[in-house]
Amino acid sequence: MTAASPTPSGDPLLAAKLSVPPVLRGLVSRRRLLDRLTEGTNGPLTLVTGPAGAGKTTAVASWAHHGTAPGPVVWVTPDREDSPRVFWAHVLEAFRRRLLLPDGGAGLPRAGDSAGRALLVRFAAALEGLAEPVVLVVDGLDKAPGREVAAGLEFLVDHAGPGLRLLLTSRVDPLLPLHRYRAEGRLCELRGAELAFTPREAAALLRGHGLAPGGEVVAGLTRRTEGWAAGLRLCALAVQRSGDPAGFATSYLASEQAVADYLLAEVLDAQPAAAQELLARTSVLDRVHPELADALTGRADAERILDRLVRDNCFVQPVAGTRWFRVHPLFAGVLHARLRSRWPGLEPVLHRRAARWFAASGQLTETLVHAAAAGDWPYAAGEAVRHLLAGRLLAGLDEGRIDALFSGMPADVPGAEAALVTAARLLARHDAAAARRWVLRAERRVRHREAAAGAGPEVRLTLALLRLLLAPHGTGSGAGAAARRTAELMAEVPAYRLKEHPEIEALRCHGRACALLAAGRPDETRAAFEETVRACTGEATHLVRHAAWGRLALAEAVRGELTAAADHAARALDVAERQGIPEDRRSGAGQLALATVACERCDFPTARHHLALAAEFTDTAADPVLRAERAVVRSRVELAHGRWAAASAVLDEAEPQVPGWPAGRLAVARSAVALARGDPAAALSALHRPGPPGAGRAAVPGDASRTVALALAHLAAGRPARALRLVAAADACPAPDLPDRVRIGLLRARAAALAGDRPAARALLGEALDAAAPEQLRRPFAEAGPWLRHLLRDVPPPAARWLTAGPPGRPAGPVLVEALSGREREVLAYAARMMSNEEIAAALHLSVNTVKTHLRSVYRKLGTSRRREAVERGRELHLL
Amino acid sequence: MRYEFRVTGLVSPALAEAFPELEREPVPQQTLFRGAVTDEAHLFGLLTRFQDLGLSIEEMRRLPE
Repeated sequence: MTAASPTPSGDPLLAAKLSVPPVLRGLVSRRRLLDRLTEGTNGPLTLVTGPAGAGKTTAVASWAHHGTAPGPVVWVTPDREDSPRVFWAHVLEAFRRRLLLPDGGAGLPRAGDSAGRALLVRFAAALEGLAEPVVLVVDGLDKAPGREVAAGLEFLVDHAGPGLRLLLTSRVDPLLPLHRYRAEGRLCELRGAELAFTPREAAALLRGHGLAPGGEVVAGLTRRTEGWAAGLRLCALAVQRSGDPAGFATSYLASEQAVADYLLAEVLDAQPAAAQELLARTSVLDRVHPELADALTGRADAERILDRLVRDNCFVQPVAGTRWFRVHPLFAGVLHARLRSRWPGLEPVLHRRAARWFAASGQLTETLVHAAAAGDWPYAAGEAVRHLLAGRLLAGLDEGRIDALFSGMPADVPGAEAALVTAARLLARHDAAAARRWVLRAERRVRHREAAAGAGPEVRLTLALLRLLLAPHGTGSGAGAAARRTAELMAEVPAYRLKEHPEIEALRCHGRACALLAAGRPDETRAAFEETVRACTGEATHLVRHAAWGRLALAEAVRGELTAAADHAARALDVAERQGIPEDRRSGAGQLALATVACERCDFPTARHHLALAAEFTDTAADPVLRAERAVVRSRVELAHGRWAAASAVLDEAEPQVPGWPAGRLAVARSAVALARGDPAAALSALHRPGPPGAGRAAVPGDASRTVALALAHLAAGRPARALRLVAAADACPAPDLPDRVRIGLLRARAAALAGDRPAARALLGEALDAAAPEQLRRPFAEAGPWLRHLLRDVPPPAARWLTAGPPGRPAGPVLVEALSGREREVLAYAARMMSNEEIAAALHLSVNTVKTHLRSVYRKLGTSRRREAVERGRELHLL
Repeated sequence: MRYEFRVTGLVSPALAEAFPELEREPVPQQTLFRGAVTDEAHLFGLLTRFQDLGLSIEEMRRLPE
């Protein structure tokens, strides 16, 4: 029904796209072209190029019917509106229909399911196993969307093995490395000059139309048309009408008209008025259906006229197995120009009628195309909302076509529907602020209308869904109500419509889960995301599933459930890769979760790697939760390398307009930075700083982190009793997250050690180690301070071994327990340049003794005893 | 930017309707089309349109402002 929805296998229009077109009556058999194609398809790539009407398709189709191909011929005709995804889905489907793939193509995704590099790799591997050569014809590659399809074909040429023979026709040279293929002798080219008819072939063509003009006439026509196939056919048609070849040739050769212009006018003007009008009026269509044509002409003779045009070979062809017809592109262009010149102002009227015809036959995309072309925006928006199009846009099912259609809609189109469509388009691009303005506008318009007639359930459902999905971008308040409202309204919409659009239910679950995450309700968040993943069953919901896995992983990583987080993040990435979700629609949540996991395990190079990847996704900057978490992880990585100014700066960068739970996360991170640079007062004030408006100070369950951070600050400020009281309160909260539990344990151990009770401190440290070991949660220990190192010596080695063993799969790396000061880093940097203490002292304007003190401090913090070791470790930790 | 396209043969006013944004000027055995071209995308779109109508371009140039 649309370019995005995988076309059901029974669709005859698709069948026509994927089969060799029938060859016309009266066709000239051009032996030299057939031989060239047979010769070309012995090699990997054959390219047929020439202008419109040069006879490219005819030549290749008659060759395919001729039977000298080296193996089965698989045919694909791309359409201009096909996305690369759809193009490859059709190629796969064409192979599958011919039963040409080993194991029936098992392991390859179904049509419409996927595209992308992963698909091509698997497809190429499957083609390598071909038992006999297969010719893949792509007829009209110029219509397939540019670079991406060309890049895929280039990949196949290089990797599909000798069995695949590509045969491409195009009006323009495709974006393939043709010069390289030529140099390697792998390319066979049939270009315009070779496709041009010789006088002899032209004579045969005219004979096929029952004409036998003299040699001079034939030579003249061939010269005038430059052997152009369409031109010669037009000549034949014109001569058939006039019955006077010589007379026609004389006047034609004397005319200065452009070839196509003259001939098309000749042929068209010879048609009866009804046929002329039908052709002109249907020129606003890509293909013509008799009933649709009747709707445009207001008559009832379309079928008869079209059948006659086909019989007369008049550049109209039926689409095999359907009631549709196609008009030759050359003809279509001229007809369109005629429509404009003869009936000015009629074009929008025709588009409006076509839109309504397509709407009545249930074809939404075509409806929208014609409503947009008519400038009939209220109708377009109304149909879009009635078909719950917002869900398609937000679930990434649109491929950009509908979005592009509505990009032409002026801002002042009235009606709630127009506002809703605009809001959905903006939100799909993560522009929440602008989307919110349009939702408010839609809300006012609905209320306005409610007083009069009442808005349809689809309008209200779309509105509720958008509000729900916007909730995490605001204060998160009202999300629960929006989720309930969405569910209620779903019950009011016809059931078949929801069944057609499973993405609505998936988005509802996802929106609710995201709102819970943003509201800092981690306990409910997990169940809500799991529900979302369960709701995402079909092809329509890949994007939502991808986003839900990623955010679930992030929620878990934040709670210290690192193993589960890593697993779910991997699933998020896998869905994206396997289903070929376009890069610009993917979510960075999975990468961010992996960065968090690595950071919590003190594997900072890995954390940095995932942070860099996460930064490439729009939503890690646009979504408040992701934006804050990204800043928090970046800050922690900077902190681990002793760069506290940078650690603080990344938090400041993220601060503006981040409300609610994310603000709390940032405050805790800021207090950690202050503590690391030895400033407990600043740590306390970071936690007391009033949040942005709306953030409130409500005791959300996530507040345990803040309490623990407060306690750590008080402890650092020398107030252990106060710290312990706070911790007791946090512990009473329903189950703090693992990182907080470990921090509480460490804080108590530290307090016990300060009170001189070493056995108690040891026992508490042992408990904390046992709690953190299953998740390999190292960071609370790394940030605890130098006191921990002394206490660790007293803990039996097996209990603490994992802490220093380094993350699995990497060489054992040390954990930086205490950050280097700026001066210490400078001294270390000079030491790395093989400078002596005296030289370093001179360079930094310090005394030699001070340099020695700094170096000793560096050795202690890095756990080394010598200069060379310290430099090496500094490199490992990226301090240098 | 303004462009001029020189097309083989005379192009009828009816066919020239396909280029509402360009002015048409018949010259001996050729037709000139001139007009403002918004950007590269527009330019390539025009070239495709000429090709779609079977018109061949003999010369194309950007006009001095």
